[in-house]
Amino acid sequence: MNNGTRRLRALTAVVTAGVLALTGCGLNEGNGSTESEGGSTASSAQATLRIGTTTDVENFNPLQSLSKTDSWILNAMYPHLLRIDENAEKVPEAATGYSYEEDGKAVVFALDERFQWTDGTPLTAEDVKFSAEAIMQYKLGNVAAKLTWVESVEVRDENTVVFHLSQPYAPFAEGVGFWMPIVPAHVFSEAGDLSTFANDADWVGAGAYVLDSMTRGQRYTLKANPNYPHAPEGGAAVGTVEYVVYPDVNTMILALRNGDIDLMGTPVPASAAASLEGADGISLETVGSLGFAHLTYNVTKGALADQAVRQALSMVVDTKSIIATILQGEGQPMVGPISPIFAQFDNTDLDAYPFDPEGARELLEKAGYSDGDGDGVLDGLSFEMVCDQSNANLTRVAEVVREDAAEAGIQINLACVERNTFLARTRGGEYEIDLSQWGVFDNPMDQLRSTYLSSNPGGINYNLVQDAELDALVNDAALTVDEKEFVGKIQAIDAYVHDQALLTPLYVENFRFAYRSDRFEGFAPSPSDLLGMVTGYSLAQVTPVD
Amino acid sequence: MSSTSTAPAPDVPLAALAATSLSPKRPGGFFSKPSGWLSVAVLVVFVLTGVFGPMLMERPGGLGTDILQAPSGAHWFGTDDLGQDVFTQVVWGTRISLTVGVVASLIAIVIGTALGLGAAYLKWLDPFVTTITDVMLSLPLLPLMILVTALAGPSVTTLVVVIGVLSWPEVTRLIRSNGMVVAAMPYIDGARVLGAGAVRIITREILPAVMPLIVVSVLLTAARSVISEAGLSFLGMGDPSSWSWGRILLNAQRSGTIATAWWQTLFPSLAILLLVLASTIAGVRYNDSRDPRTKGM
Repeated sequence: MNNGTRRLRALTAVVTAGVLALTGCGLNEGNGSTESEGGSTASSAQATLRIGTTTDVENFNPLQSLSKTDSWILNAMYPHLLRIDENAEKVPEAATGYSYEEDGKAVVFALDERFQWTDGTPLTAEDVKFSAEAIMQYKLGNVAAKLTWVESVEVRDENTVVFHLSQPYAPFAEGVGFWMPIVPAHVFSEAGDLSTFANDADWVGAGAYVLDSMTRGQRYTLKANPNYPHAPEGGAAVGTVEYVVYPDVNTMILALRNGDIDLMGTPVPASAAASLEGADGISLETVGSLGFAHLTYNVTKGALADQAVRQALSMVVDTKSIIATILQGEGQPMVGPISPIFAQFDNTDLDAYPFDPEGARELLEKAGYSDGDGDGVLDGLSFEMVCDQSNANLTRVAEVVREDAAEAGIQINLACVERNTFLARTRGGEYEIDLSQWGVFDNPMDQLRSTYLSSNPGGINYNLVQDAELDALVNDAALTVDEKEFVGKIQAIDAYVHDQALLTPLYVENFRFAYRSDRFEGFAPSPSDLLGMVTGYSLAQVTPVD
Repeated sequence: MSSTSTAPAPDVPLAALAATSLSPKRPGGFFSKPSGWLSVAVLVVFVLTGVFGPMLMERPGGLGTDILQAPSGAHWFGTDDLGQDVFTQVVWGTRISLTVGVVASLIAIVIGTALGLGAAYLKWLDPFVTTITDVMLSLPLLPLMILVTALAGPSVTTLVVVIGVLSWPEVTRLIRSNGMVVAAMPYIDGARVLGAGAVRIITREILPAVMPLIVVSVLLTAARSVISEAGLSFLGMGDPSSWSWGRILLNAQRSGTIATAWWQTLFPSLAILLLVLASTIAGVRYNDSRDPRTKGM
């Protein structure tokens, strides 16, 4: 009896183990084959495009998103009224166009009636009104700054929405049109407090691709939205877009070479571009920039409040060599906060601070700094510089700047940290020098308002500067209607900020994206690394190579 | 030979210990085998490089024009993505890597020996030391080092202290088990009867007996410290203002060229390998040369 029971148990155990093993295999095989079918049957609408990214999605709520991977995925899910095309022009996306009424105090957007949410509800003017009002109510993201003068949002009819402004503001339509995501009112209105709404499951979108599933730290799978009106006829050829997380860019490059991914969402570091240029089946696409790399000084921290110190820091940054070596020439220098891509507004009379560490030291000594304790560092001039370690170019810049600063008697301690830590620190003001790269500024006025107003309406015044004179200059320019006068005022602010040395601009980078051209073609890239190859519009145009 | 037969832990290299009670000059000494003089020669080359190299070569820095050049006559180890000479970086890195290795190892040896000898002789101290050592040995060292370095802020001093303070448990265990053998010997009882105190017995009687083991430990711990330093620097926890081999590896990784510019990673890795191998072999050879068993006695 006893023996029998034991034998029976043993048998059961063996059978159970066997079944488990079989199921395990079955599941694995099932998964494997689904994926490989997706990858190989590229000709059908089931084609899967795999994109490498260095970071996880930090935040799924498009109303407050700031990080890069977040933007890539959320911009594909939630349409905007306008998008930026290959030529950096704003063209219709969810809107068919816009017009100004009442001398510029009313901005009317006509919506594209073909847009539909993935649950079948049509996208209407109510959704636009809801999105704008939510952003204003909770002061979310940098869009809040662009909505400052909105007094009310009117739904004129199902496909027409009107923004009533307290005063005319010329860049309003383009700024809000491009930046403001449209969220489904019928879903988000149920969500309670939108400043804390996670939106991390059961996604409803109206863009080209909508999130379907995710495994944090590994992959994010998006499915094509069959109702996306800007896809070519017959729908997008790429049915599934999969973001795969590779925290290390070397691994990502190898994955691209091996064909584990089809596109690097992250730009190729300049140093690695040459080796990919000749690689089989891989092509590089160059796009311009809508932002720039910069050192921004937190004026609330110690000696950084001193203009002389900031000027001296600007003199230890060798932008010319940085562009020649670290960017391998793929970038252009800039002076002052206005990028040369806004040629009309860029104040070309400004002279860049010369690269002159010794001169910087003299300037500091003249300003009263001295090396009292004899450690080679001028007293009080030791700063921590934060940067995002996933940006290969900037981590290299950081080292060069640190070395040159030491010559001028300024000690810079580097804290190049993981991207989300970096973002958390910049948002919390926990830095002295912020070495980073702006993604997109679509017009100089919005840029200056977001980055320099004391009220910090966009949350990106990383100088944390509170300068009444600068506030007055910016607010005055924003109210200026006359074009010529407006340009003059922008240039004056450019000069003021340059003289204050609130930032040291580094370069305007040409981004290079690498993709498997033996598998996919037809990307419609937009400038900047925030948009690049991975906008919903661009991905919807992609076709597999037969 | 009698001491080996009473050893509580037969896997512990007791030979060095046994040798002290015997005559030190015998055939089969340290340099009688190639592994002895070769390893010492390599170590001497590294020390000379670390001391004099940076005096002869300009500190690597700045931005060069020859970017990512493969090894050639002009650049023996090639250049990195900033156009800096990798050979110069490796030479400069030798100094920091050696310094961290040696100083951290000394810290570990001092703490480890003090605790080990204390535990070996003082019975009341033994349970505490053993418990702490076991706890330390069971901790995941690398994550702990990363955490502490991140909190303390990266610098050479932090690295040295963190690595040194976290590396003593192996030394303690080794010294304790051998110290216990010595402590049980009749001449220790003799010393006690003559009125010697605990401090005197530990420092004058037991310490000299385990000294050869300490020499071996210094070498092995230094080897491990060099690896720890390289690992921490590679993870971005090193001192960004001084060159070390780990930092060269980190730079290669950050530039995104690991897959193509092999020389950026190969040469610092070779340096680490050579130094660690040489000091390990030297340690083993030193132990063997004093071991009556391996000398065929």
